[in-house]
Amino acid sequence: MAFLSVRGLVVGIGRLTPLDGISFEIGKGEIVGVVGESGSGKSLTAMSVMGLLPLIGGKVKAGAMTFDGIDLLTLPPAGYRALRGKRMALISQNPMTSLDPIIRIGAQIDQMSRLHLGFEAEAAKARSIDLMEQLRIPDAATIYGSYPHQLSGGMKQRIVIAMALAADPDLIIADEPTTALDVTIQAQIIQIMVELVRERGLSLMLVTHDMGVVAQACDRVVVLYAGRVAESNGAGGIFEAPSHPYTRELVRCIPREGQPPGSLKGIPGAVPSVMDYPSGCRFHPRCPEAMPICEASVPALERKTTGLAACHLETVHAHV
Amino acid sequence: MVSAATLRNILLTPRGGLSALVLATVIAAAVFAPFVAPYAYDIQSLRNANLDPSWSNWMGTDEFGRDLFSRIIYGARTSLTVAITAISISVAVGMSLGAAAGYFGGAFDKAVTAVVDLTWSFPEILIALMLIAIIGPGLNSTMIAIAIAYLAQFTRLTRAQIMSLKNETYVEATANLGAGHAHIIFRHLLPNALTPVIVAGMLATGDAIILEATLGFFGLGAQPPTPSWGAMMSSGTAQIFIAPWIIIFPGLAIAVTVIAINLFGDAVIEALDIRNRLRDV
Amino acid sequence: MPMSEAAMSDRGETTPESASSAKPMAGDLATIRGLTREYVSSAGLFSMKRTMRAVNDVSLDVPRGKVTGVVGESGCGKSTLARLVLRLIDSTSGTVAVNGVDLGSLTARELRKLRRNMQMVFQDPYSAIDPRYTIRDALLEPFQIQGVGFGAAGPVGAIDELIARVGLSPRLAGSYPHQLSGGQKQRVGIARALALKPSFVVLDEPTASLDVSIQAQIIGLLEQLKHELGLTYLFISHDLSLVRYFCDRIVVMYLGRVVEILPDARARPRHHYSLALMDSHFEPDPKRRKVVTRLAGEIPSPFDLPPGCAFAARCPAATGLCTRERPLLTGDAAGHQAACHHPAG
Repeated sequence: MAFLSVRGLVVGIGRLTPLDGISFEIGKGEIVGVVGESGSGKSLTAMSVMGLLPLIGGKVKAGAMTFDGIDLLTLPPAGYRALRGKRMALISQNPMTSLDPIIRIGAQIDQMSRLHLGFEAEAAKARSIDLMEQLRIPDAATIYGSYPHQLSGGMKQRIVIAMALAADPDLIIADEPTTALDVTIQAQIIQIMVELVRERGLSLMLVTHDMGVVAQACDRVVVLYAGRVAESNGAGGIFEAPSHPYTRELVRCIPREGQPPGSLKGIPGAVPSVMDYPSGCRFHPRCPEAMPICEASVPALERKTTGLAACHLETVHAHV
Repeated sequence: MVSAATLRNILLTPRGGLSALVLATVIAAAVFAPFVAPYAYDIQSLRNANLDPSWSNWMGTDEFGRDLFSRIIYGARTSLTVAITAISISVAVGMSLGAAAGYFGGAFDKAVTAVVDLTWSFPEILIALMLIAIIGPGLNSTMIAIAIAYLAQFTRLTRAQIMSLKNETYVEATANLGAGHAHIIFRHLLPNALTPVIVAGMLATGDAIILEATLGFFGLGAQPPTPSWGAMMSSGTAQIFIAPWIIIFPGLAIAVTVIAINLFGDAVIEALDIRNRLRDV
Repeated sequence: MPMSEAAMSDRGETTPESASSAKPMAGDLATIRGLTREYVSSAGLFSMKRTMRAVNDVSLDVPRGKVTGVVGESGCGKSTLARLVLRLIDSTSGTVAVNGVDLGSLTARELRKLRRNMQMVFQDPYSAIDPRYTIRDALLEPFQIQGVGFGAAGPVGAIDELIARVGLSPRLAGSYPHQLSGGQKQRVGIARALALKPSFVVLDEPTASLDVSIQAQIIGLLEQLKHELGLTYLFISHDLSLVRYFCDRIVVMYLGRVVEILPDARARPRHHYSLALMDSHFEPDPKRRKVVTRLAGEIPSPFDLPPGCAFAARCPAATGLCTRERPLLTGDAAGHQAACHHPAG
């Protein structure tokens, strides 16, 4: 059984249904990318797994979610609080939402191991500094005593990762962890994060819009489009033999090295809004291979030549 | 600024609809005072002084035997004219100063901000009293005093709006098309800054009615026999035990009008969702 | 209004069409020399005033009919450079000449008139149109500001043509910006920039706030417009892969200075910062995963730059010389310039 399993998750916020049947699994030690454009529901999926939906007035309306055999949907708030931070940790896009501006960096990392692992002050400090060094934070002992505002954005995000790792979690959910950072810093942080996750055999759910980051880091990829899973596939399948036209078109939107001029076209139309989703397959108005059935009926997520895809086509052609 | 749909939304809420009805009544009474008031406001009849409210004098009479209901209707004229004129002047001058200061910045902005901050730290009533002490009492001085007393508020508000709007990309984009300062200020900045300033002006009109009444109460506003709610209350203090209605009814008129203005203003703020834009001053 | 006066005297002079011929002409459209912009910050009441140069002694040529890309990370000065080139902000020193005209020598009115020939597409399409303007009004505004006639087609025809040119539906003309998607808004931004038929367009991260599928649409549109109208672009971006795809030549900036100029987008960089930028880009191909060369150290504060090469503290090839002496931009015969004491291969 998968370590984290999400099946048919439907989430409502008010009268809207931003997540409409999300299914995917993450195995132990696996790095799974959850990708999509704005409004695809990727961040909301992360919030659902973390049990943070009540913060934004969201409600799970249907589906099932289990984590290491624990049913997350029937878990009482106290049980969730015990899981969060200890067994599943969140790394968010903006490090300042995770760091308290008036508490020294060290104390904030210490807190995780003291709270969740029962460490004494000295042991917690040693562990925190060790973690900071593993994240290649230069002069960790000095940074330990500084305040968040004294650090650069990249350094703050490293501290947040250290906090996430401090309580020895089994699952890390990283929601666009490097989007706010410059490319050179982003590359280093992705690299260190993936290294540490692999070394410890942790599971990582990496939420991102960046297909380059996905290709670099992930074992498997879940592609979301307009609140549904379009495709769920291995990283190789996603980039070389995609099973959903959206995946293929999305990958083609990124200029590759040596791509001839004039060959970048994008996907016509606009990303649909949650207020106004198309009928049937939600990608059909933009799909180059749309058929009459695509407008009429919602395709189920089913096995294709590679991976799973929600598409009425039997096989997707690499070239159209 | 306010679309028909927004207006309908405002009027359909209990708060917005009721306050609008009250305001419309007060304004209509003020405008059509000669037709609505049963008596002239200045006919004295000492025989009929301090009469109780009755069918012939709905609100009784004052110490000179004048019909209180008629005087309250004419008083609405005075109060509304003074308050609306004063606030209009204040908004017009404040917007010009605030827009120029916010847009051009520099020494002019520093000077305007310094004066505005200085006056901002005094209550409006104090400023108004000081000004009337200098220019002498009367309706026109009251208007000028009120206008100046509220100037700081509109200057600040407009300046803050312009300062944030001028960083919008469309302002830079318009400048890049070759537009001059006048085009940018009058075609883009002021239209977008207008809504919160107008709403603040509406709310200030309520305060200005109280300020006018206060000045009138001290005998610094409208001079007799021109009826003014504040002056009427002032003359009612002497009769408070024999004819309490002389002070109660003008007081009620002030309270009802001001509360209606505030409720209506609140309804507009909510409908347009601009509370935060009014707060950042 | 002063505008209408300027407009009157302008009719009958060069028609906007003549400004942009379909074929790119040889030579440089814009010439930038020693361009510098200083900002002074006084952080607190008692702290000293500190000066930083957002753009520091930048010289470069923008060849006609080509796409010149300026790439760098946040704070490198690329957006300030874009605004200096169009003189939307004034420079502290240095000159910009467009079509041989020194922009610094112009009066405010002359500059405003010249703006029809040099336009900009902005990063944030969400606030690039006045929320109170319909799309039609927003597209009419450039003509009104410059007092330019609409040509034979009249205002309706001219606006329809613009809308069609950027691939929008004519039904959107009466819409307000909030009714449009981000990609549609950026198309309106492009249409507004093209309304006056400019020959030079500065693109300031035009796709940075758009979704990937929309970004590719907009880049495709910009390529098409360049060919149809013979435009010259200065393309500002933080995305090296996009710059390498879209641009004919690439200018790399780091902390206000140009560190490298690549005459050809496919050329292998020589400056170690450009190499690091390239190295940091992940290709969308899991077979080409890479180990990122670790850049040690932090980006220095722009208020307190080291005396030598600003990149020395992070550079794998840095020596004592690099921390002492700032390398100058030197080039080879092909026009490949790098500011590095120890350039790679």
